[in-house]
Amino acid sequence: MMFLIVLILPFFFIGLINKMKAIYVGKQGASIFQPYYDFFKLIKKGEVISDTSSFVFQIAPSINLACTIIAAVLLTLFHFEGDFILFSYVLALGKFFSVIAAMDTGSSFEGMGASREVSYTSFVEPAFFIIIGSLAALSGHYSFLSIFGLLQSKNEIVMLIAILAVFAIFMMILIEGSRVPIDDPKTHLELTMIHEVMVLDNSGVDLAFIHYASALKMLLFSALIAAIICPQYLWASLLVILFIAFLIATIESIGARIRLTHIIEYTFTMIAVALIVMALVLLIMHGGRF
Amino acid sequence: MTLITSAIWVYTIGGILQLFLKEENKCNLLIITNFVAAALLAMPVMFVLANNAVVESSLWMGMLVKNAIFRLDSLSAFFILIIAGIGFLGTIYSKSYLAPYIEKGKKIGSHLFLFNLFIVSMILVTLSQNIIFFLISWELMSFSSFLLMIFENEEKEVRQSGINYLITMHVGVMFLTVGFILMYLKTGSLDFASFNGKISELVFAIMFIGFGIKAGIVPLHSWLPKAHPVAPTHISALMSGVMIKTGIYGILRMLFYTGRPTITISYCVLIIGLLSAFFGILYAVAQRNYKKMLAYSSIENIGIIITGLAVGMLGLAYGNYVMCVLGFLGCFMHILNHSIFKTLMFFTAGSVYTQAHTKDMEKLGGLVHPMKGTALAFLLGSIAISALPPFNGFISEFLIYLGFLNSFSSHNYFLFTVMVAAIGILAFVGAMALIAFTNAFSIIFLGSPRTEKAEHVENDVPSVMLLPIYVLAFCALVIGLFPQMFVNIAAFPVLNYVNVIMPHKLLAVISTFNISLFVVIAAVLGLRALLLKNKKVEKRETWGCGYQFPSAKIQYSANSFTRPFLGFLTPFFIRELHFTQIKELFPQKTSFKSRIFDLFEYYIVKPIVIVDEFIISKFYWIQSGHTQKYLIYGVVFLVLAIALLIGGKI
Repeated sequence: MMFLIVLILPFFFIGLINKMKAIYVGKQGASIFQPYYDFFKLIKKGEVISDTSSFVFQIAPSINLACTIIAAVLLTLFHFEGDFILFSYVLALGKFFSVIAAMDTGSSFEGMGASREVSYTSFVEPAFFIIIGSLAALSGHYSFLSIFGLLQSKNEIVMLIAILAVFAIFMMILIEGSRVPIDDPKTHLELTMIHEVMVLDNSGVDLAFIHYASALKMLLFSALIAAIICPQYLWASLLVILFIAFLIATIESIGARIRLTHIIEYTFTMIAVALIVMALVLLIMHGGRF
Repeated sequence: MTLITSAIWVYTIGGILQLFLKEENKCNLLIITNFVAAALLAMPVMFVLANNAVVESSLWMGMLVKNAIFRLDSLSAFFILIIAGIGFLGTIYSKSYLAPYIEKGKKIGSHLFLFNLFIVSMILVTLSQNIIFFLISWELMSFSSFLLMIFENEEKEVRQSGINYLITMHVGVMFLTVGFILMYLKTGSLDFASFNGKISELVFAIMFIGFGIKAGIVPLHSWLPKAHPVAPTHISALMSGVMIKTGIYGILRMLFYTGRPTITISYCVLIIGLLSAFFGILYAVAQRNYKKMLAYSSIENIGIIITGLAVGMLGLAYGNYVMCVLGFLGCFMHILNHSIFKTLMFFTAGSVYTQAHTKDMEKLGGLVHPMKGTALAFLLGSIAISALPPFNGFISEFLIYLGFLNSFSSHNYFLFTVMVAAIGILAFVGAMALIAFTNAFSIIFLGSPRTEKAEHVENDVPSVMLLPIYVLAFCALVIGLFPQMFVNIAAFPVLNYVNVIMPHKLLAVISTFNISLFVVIAAVLGLRALLLKNKKVEKRETWGCGYQFPSAKIQYSANSFTRPFLGFLTPFFIRELHFTQIKELFPQKTSFKSRIFDLFEYYIVKPIVIVDEFIISKFYWIQSGHTQKYLIYGVVFLVLAIALLIGGKI
């Protein structure tokens, strides 16, 4: 059930963010379903392909999409020992292909985007693994099960851990989804050349796949947060996802991007939060005594 | 055992025959001898791996060394499988690789003789269980690989790196000899079997350093990135894919006799493993010579292997056997996997070199169009080596991660902290591998040609050269898709250390996911083809944001691709920049140079060499060049030796 909802929702999530952003600046904004209209329009179109490019450019968007779908399966359907490792590595495979596809066009803009994308997202995996690894030690489940319903614990320190984990994963959404303050999804111009500029040469079906895959990826990380807060009820999870969309829209409306050279501070904050989670787990293992 | 003996004879005789044959036939003979010998070896090796048997023999070497015992157990069989298999593929590749050299009139007889000798010596290293014969085979291996490496010895750089390699290897042998002497003093026996449970921590540490130099662990790795770029491709593939694993073999063999390792030494091994993985891949990101990049990536993979080993040792030390079996299994699988994909990568790199004649990736680009087959193989290899599913690299890293996770059931605070940190570091290493290999693949093969050298590449390498490459790629994929079958190869070597159930069930789950990943990719590609059916797909030039005159020079280069990432990690290497700034209004000539130094080489190896040179310079007078003096040295030595003998008797 959750799996199907996750597969349908991504564009709704993006549409919601865009609508809220429009309301923030006093516009009426496009319909929440606009991303769906765009998607169906795009898959009806033909394609224009760069003549520098090779087969890589044509298969990459599809592989990226397939990887994200498998990641969705891992998060929502099956849980086994070490599933979060496969989750993270499957997403990395998708990233691998999107990066080489960007380099395939020989465009310096896309090269710039690819280079920045790999540089900034390389810090996400360590933070993610440290958090889930620590939580695995806490719960005894070496899978995503370790994070489910963490916030509902009676222990104050566990609640604190849950809040920190939510915070860190929210930071990851902003990096992986290329949102403000890391990147600005509105434009592909020089200042914010990360994700949008990587797909400058894609069109038609491929572009539709790319939009869907990146929206799905953001939704997956949001679903992780929902799982920490309230995994029992579907409506509660959806409410959490709604709130995350609201939060992202708010940040994008009132904040600005960080300077590129300062993004490293953002990523290290994320790793620091992950290490605090680890320290707190250690504290609990000690029986809560200092 | 007779099969093994005859295989060794086939290698040796085939090698000797190389010296007398016609040039054209030499490579064919090499392929035949290696095929026959590998086929002869296959039977006993598979038998031992399937039944955990131990085959023992004293071979004909009994005449030379008393009690020279050769033992084929599951650990040796595992390594022989890799040596003979990769060696055979190497011979097929070398036939076409050496063809241009033969045309130029280069004599390759001795080279091919040494090739067989090299393989025999590696097999003997894994077989011999007698101190003296082990050291002889070990030396033979180092020396033959040195001679193979300096194939293009007209060039100064090649000779220099060769000497560097030879000296480093002998420092390693020195440690080994000391370790073996200590063991001999303790047990009074030359046979390995009598060491069982008697190897102390100190001896293990000494042996670890000695074998570690061969394996290329940080900080003793400095020979590796020098040796691989200058060696001919099939040799660097064998050295990186197989030879450095004999160092790991030595460590595993010694560990086998140590019994239960202590906690301290296990943590030391873990730290060394993680350091090697981290620094290996960091310097790989920074390289622009693609063979050097692959050499550094070997250091990373050795680091991962040692990390798996350390997880196993920690499991033994803490009595956590699930963790232990996962660690050792990860270690063994990564040995197998690395030998597959690293050989694959070196072969494709060699193909690029034979077509484009440069090892500098900044001078290449756009090679995917003329060299489609090589490009696809390089892509598959890059995915495997970055440990991404559905290829084999992922399987071994996954096992090591699971080993980390299972340590939590020991409820030890210190272990928990270290393991979580190790998980973080290994994840970061994975992310860096992704950067290194997306960089290499896209700069060498994608975009448009950056220089004339790349433009002039017109066709792919002959299909004989592609054959071994695709065999390896197929192996990498099959192990990734069906890991639960292939762990059986490593099962008995692992069970020698700890006797618990293998994680077959879990690997079957991974296998299902890897296959479904494959299916979903195929489905999405099919969907795309369906959607694009009967629609216009145009080819236009790359969108340049309105700029009219794009040039190949404005493409992103390897240096610019990795620049932002390396900028974050500046404390971990030394960067030398030469940049002449433009100060006047009108454009002038300007230049930019950047070099990246290895931290360990700069701060550890270099000072040692300087001190060493200073000390040795005080002894120059010994080597005066006067024959009389040398005669006196001989006489003095003889007198001393006789005096000692007599003195000892009384």
